[in-house]
Amino acid sequence: MADKIHPISKIFRQWRVQAYLDFMWMTRDFKFCMINIVSDIILNLSGVAAVFLLAERFQGIGTWGTEQIIFMLGYAALVHGVMDMGFSYNIMHISRRIGRGQLDHILIQPQPIWIALLTEGFMPFSGSWSFFTGVGITIWSLTQIELSITFVWCLYFAINLLSSCAVVLGFSYLWGSLAFWAPVGAEEINSQTTRFVSQLRTFPLDGLGKRLQNGLLSILPVGFVAWYPSRALMHVAPPETLWHTPLAAFTFIILATLAFRKGLRYYEKTGSQRYLGWGHRG
Amino acid sequence: MNAIHKYWQTILMTGLRPLDDEWWSLPGRYSLRFLRVLFLLSLWHTLLPTEGTTSGMTLHAVLTYTLIAEVFASQLSSRVALDTSLWQGDIANRFLRPMSIYCQYSAEMIGDWLLDLVLFSAPLVLIAPLFGVNPLPASPMAALLFTLSLTLGVAVGLALDFIFTAMMVFLEHSVYALMQIRNAISTLLSGAILPLAMLPWGLGDIFTYLPFASLASAPLRIYTGTGDPQFLITIQAAWALVLWPLARMLWRINRERLVSHGG
Repeated sequence: MADKIHPISKIFRQWRVQAYLDFMWMTRDFKFCMINIVSDIILNLSGVAAVFLLAERFQGIGTWGTEQIIFMLGYAALVHGVMDMGFSYNIMHISRRIGRGQLDHILIQPQPIWIALLTEGFMPFSGSWSFFTGVGITIWSLTQIELSITFVWCLYFAINLLSSCAVVLGFSYLWGSLAFWAPVGAEEINSQTTRFVSQLRTFPLDGLGKRLQNGLLSILPVGFVAWYPSRALMHVAPPETLWHTPLAAFTFIILATLAFRKGLRYYEKTGSQRYLGWGHRG
Repeated sequence: MNAIHKYWQTILMTGLRPLDDEWWSLPGRYSLRFLRVLFLLSLWHTLLPTEGTTSGMTLHAVLTYTLIAEVFASQLSSRVALDTSLWQGDIANRFLRPMSIYCQYSAEMIGDWLLDLVLFSAPLVLIAPLFGVNPLPASPMAALLFTLSLTLGVAVGLALDFIFTAMMVFLEHSVYALMQIRNAISTLLSGAILPLAMLPWGLGDIFTYLPFASLASAPLRIYTGTGDPQFLITIQAAWALVLWPLARMLWRINRERLVSHGG
């Protein structure tokens, strides 16, 4: 019976369930709810504050004006917000789930893994405050810079935003798949990759050497999180660059899928060794 | 002798633990940190003129500041594993150990530093001249005072850690969220990434008086000779004297609440 449900409607149904659970979790206690909201806003603002203060102090960074920097910060905050809202509960930090043997919880469910990964981390209420912070910064920046906002531009914005999120996710899964082979050693590898991305995502990369810049647009794709798409959206770079971030997203998702599937095949043979008699972290 | 021995063993056990299973992930972790340093050094080259000073700091002083901030990253943002213990629930076992709760966590923290210092910090200092950065302190006296300042910074950091954890227990809030906030705020206000002097609107002057500045900004300014050591060390000592009794009091009160939750 369950097999007859179309995957798309299944995704929406599960998002609805997740939304309900998240709402109930978030509103179970007023104090908890308020702390959650305030902490998320502080977290997201402090994530972009360093670069904003630097831009304000030096009237921009390199060739970027302060207003352009703010747009990029808003974009980066939006990416962070979408990831928080859509891929929480360690779906983004997949190495933790694999390393702790929690992937088994997904594997026993009567649905494809990709649907579980796409829906289990959905937190539209408790995870949305970072997103709203990003919306606020972006709207404010758009009032400061001279940019003609058309329907087509909004479409490009949405495509680039989702692509940036896909790059972050793809990068995370590419590294996180290592946990299939080394569950203990690589359990926290996604903490390292996420920290690296979140610390550098808000800096414009223009002034860097060509080699370092290329590295940050390929092996460690920090540039695609905010800098590169922001340049394209603000027409600082040629129009064709608007498609470069979606192209990078496609590449990273393909690579991540291949790595994850290879890891999964290995996992099918070995299983999890983490559930031991003296605790799951043994 | 026995009292010291058990802490020494804890330091060694914690220090060598990553070699059991994590050794192969260490190159990746250190590569990411190394790239971050390269990135920040390049950023300062973009922002600052090669000659003259900006907010009282030369380009060379800022580069040394950035490099040393990464070399002593763990000490400048000293953290114990209290949050992890609460998260995993093994805090209950900690109380059963024949060791002071403060000392066992501190010993583990020092253990965590060992491998980083040997495998990352020392090599980074050695290769720093290749990137045009002078890793040496401003003077021999600066090196001496830096050691004292760093020790005080660690003391302030530990006190803050215990205070934050006690608050976490008091608020019954998510360990993860509160620790994330602590990290985010302290990274910005401590001057570990950006020297406080580089902040606009005179914010750096205000932040200097906050406890977070005692963690990183004070020792780094002393190391690079861009701050008055006497003034900075006095502020650090004052914060250590204020925060430790507070940390002990909050921890003592909230420990009962913690036990009532069953760890």
